[in-house]
Amino acid sequence: MANRMNFLQGKTVRKVIPANASHSRSSSTPQVNGTSATIYGGGVKDPSGRITEYSSEDDQCPVCKSDKYLEKRLRLLVSSCYHKMCESCIDRLFTLGPAPCPICSKVLRKLAFTPQTFEDLGVEKEIAVRRRIAKEFKKRVEDFSNLREFNDYLEDVEDITWNLINDIDPAGTEARITAYREANAALTLLNTQREEAYVLSLRQAEDLERKEKEMRAEEQRREEEEERAERESGKRDIIDRLERADDADAARVVRRTRRERAEREANRKGVAPGKGAQALLRARLAAAAATAAAKDTPHVPFQDNYYAYEDMFVLQPVYVDPTSEAVRKDREGIMRAGGFRVEEAWERALRSAVAGLDLWPLGQESVPNPQPIDQGGDVIMSAA
Amino acid sequence: MATSNKTLTPLYEASTQFKNWRHSSEDLAKIRSSLNSAAVAVIRQTLEAYEPGSSLAVSFLTPDEELLLVRLYISKISQLCGFFRFPEEVEATAVSYLKRFYLKNTVMDWHPKNVMLTALFLATKTTNNPISLEAYTDNIPKTAPSDVLELEFLVAQSLGFEFAVWHAHRALWGIWLDLQTVPTAPPDRALLESEKYDAAHRHLRNSRLSDAELIYTPSQIALASLSLASPELAAEWAEFKFPLGSPSLSRLQSIVASIKTLIQSSSQPVDVEAVRAVDLRLKLCKNPEKVVGSKAYLAKKAEEERKAEEKRNRKATDVQQAIAEGDLFGDELTRGLAVDDDDDDD
Repeated sequence: MANRMNFLQGKTVRKVIPANASHSRSSSTPQVNGTSATIYGGGVKDPSGRITEYSSEDDQCPVCKSDKYLEKRLRLLVSSCYHKMCESCIDRLFTLGPAPCPICSKVLRKLAFTPQTFEDLGVEKEIAVRRRIAKEFKKRVEDFSNLREFNDYLEDVEDITWNLINDIDPAGTEARITAYREANAALTLLNTQREEAYVLSLRQAEDLERKEKEMRAEEQRREEEEERAERESGKRDIIDRLERADDADAARVVRRTRRERAEREANRKGVAPGKGAQALLRARLAAAAATAAAKDTPHVPFQDNYYAYEDMFVLQPVYVDPTSEAVRKDREGIMRAGGFRVEEAWERALRSAVAGLDLWPLGQESVPNPQPIDQGGDVIMSAA
Repeated sequence: MATSNKTLTPLYEASTQFKNWRHSSEDLAKIRSSLNSAAVAVIRQTLEAYEPGSSLAVSFLTPDEELLLVRLYISKISQLCGFFRFPEEVEATAVSYLKRFYLKNTVMDWHPKNVMLTALFLATKTTNNPISLEAYTDNIPKTAPSDVLELEFLVAQSLGFEFAVWHAHRALWGIWLDLQTVPTAPPDRALLESEKYDAAHRHLRNSRLSDAELIYTPSQIALASLSLASPELAAEWAEFKFPLGSPSLSRLQSIVASIKTLIQSSSQPVDVEAVRAVDLRLKLCKNPEKVVGSKAYLAKKAEEERKAEEKRNRKATDVQQAIAEGDLFGDELTRGLAVDDDDDDD
C-alpha cells in the first residue's frame, strides 16, 4: 500500500528486480525499433530511470503468437484497454488510423499504447486509475464538518475507484466523477494550489540551503587563498628588508614584520562575513520566520518554575564526607553510573536538608503561637 | 528566604509525598479507626453469611493492635535489608510503602508479612537496586515468588503509583554537609564529631518505627534526630538557617521538640510476645474472602467470574448494536464513544 501511495504522489520507488535479472537489464536499455518506442503515455513516469520496463522470457504476443524465441527483440506494449501486443502488430494494425482491438474490439489508436511497468496488468490499471482519481478528488479532512461526512466521502471515492478498476457501470461512474468535478471545482483548485505551494516551499528551502553551502565553501576557499598570498608576500617582505638592513637589525626586522602580519590577520578575521552571505542569512531568517508564523505555537509539556531552595544553602566545592569517599576515590568510575557527579548528590542532600524546614504539620497551621510540647528539648535548643 | 519566592511552588510542596501522604496525627487516628471498623463490619457480615452466629465469638483487632503488627514488620524490613545488604534508601522506601499501604488497607484483609515482602521487593525496583525475584525469595524461608508477585499490583495501586519518597536520611546527610559551612565551625568538625552523626543516624532509624514521616517533613525529622544526638549542633545549624528571633526559627524549634518526643516514645523495640498474641487472634478474624480455599473465597471468585462474564456480554451487545445502527464509522466527533473500551471494573 505504501508503495502504491508513492506512485500516486509521483515519487520514485526502486522497483523489485524481476527474477531474471540479466534480462531485465537488457530490456532497460532503450530499444529504438518501431515508432512506439517514443510513446510514453502511461505506466510509471520515473525521471530517475530506476523503474524499468517489465518484460519476461515467456513473453508472447497474443495477436501474432510470436515469442522471444522467434523474435529476439520482441517488445509488448499495453493498450488503453489493458491488452498486450507486440510492436509489429501495433504497426500493422494501427498505422492507418484508429482500429478495433483484436481482443476486445474497443477502438484504439497507436498513440494509446504504453510500455508495461508491472507484471500484473491489473496493478498497472489500478495505478493508472488511482492516479487519475487522486487528481480529481482532493478534499481533505479539514474540508468536512464531521467525521461521518469525511468517511462517507472516502467511501465514495473508493467506490468510484473500485468501479473504474473493475469496469462496473463505466458510464454511471464517469457521470459521478463529472458531477463531483463540477460541484467541487473551486475546492479542488484550492487544494491543488495548496499542494503546489507546499512543494514549492520545500524546493525553495532546499535551494537556499544549497546556495548557502556553496557560498560558505567559496568564502573558505577565498580566505585560504588570501592567507597563502599573505604568507608569501610576508616572506618576500622579510627578505627585502633584510637585504636593506644590516646584521644587527635582522632579528628586529623579522620580529616586526611578523607582528605586522599577525595584526593584519587579526583584522581580517574580525571583519564580518561578506555581503552575499549576509543577504543569504537574511533570506533564511525570513523563511524561518515565515514557517514559524505558519506553524502553531509549540506545545510546552513541562514548565519548570519550581523554587528549589537555592537561597537556603550554598554548595561548597568540597566537603569532608566519609559517606562518598569511596566513590570520589574511584577515578576510573567503576562504581559510578555515567554522568554521576558527587556534587550533584551533595546538592540533592543539601536541598532535601532545607526543603520544607519551616512547614507546619497539618492541623497546626491555624495555631498562632503553639506552646512547644517538649519543654525540655526546646529549652536546650534555644539555650545553645 | 523561603518567603521571598512565594510565586513559585517549592519543590517539596510539589511532591506527592507532600500532597497525598501528609496527615495530622488526629487524621491518622481517624483513618485507622474508620478502616478498622469498616473491615470489621465487612468480615462480620461475611462470617454470618456462611455460618450464622459464628462472628459473635470472634474478637476483632483494634486499630492499635493493627499498628503494633505493622510496626513489628517494619522492624523486620531492617533485618531483611541487613541480610541482603540493601542500601539504606531501599529500607527507608520499603518502610514508607508499608506505612502508606496500611493507610489504605487493613491488617485483617492483608497480612503484613506478605505485604512487607512485596513492599521491599517493590522498593528495590523503584530505587534502582534491582534483585531477581528468585534470589529474593530463595533467601527468605517459606516464601514463594507468587507470594511476592500476587500482591505487587495491589501494593502499587494502594500507593497510588506514587513511588518517589523524600527521605529523612538524605536530609540528615545534607545537614551534616551543611554544618561544615557554618562560619563558626571548627575546620575538621565532620571528622572529629562523626560519632554524633552516627548517633543521629540511629535516632533517625528509630523514627521510622513511628508515624513521624507521615506528619513532618524529612528535613524536620533529620534535624530532630540530630538534636537528640547533639542539641548544640542542631541549634547551631537551625540558627544558621534562620535568623534569631524569626518566626520560622521558633516554629522549627517547637516542631523539632515534638518530633523528639515522638521518636523517643517509639524507640523501644516491639514486644514480640504481645505481637504473637495479636497474630494468633488475627488468624481467627482474618477476612475469609481473602483466605485461599475457604468457602467465602470460592464464593467471591465465582461472583467475580460472573461479573466479568456479564461485562463481556454487555460489551459484545454494545458492539453488535453499534454495528446494527450503522454508526461504526460515524460521527463520534460529536456524539462521544458509544462502546466502552476500558477494562476496569466499573
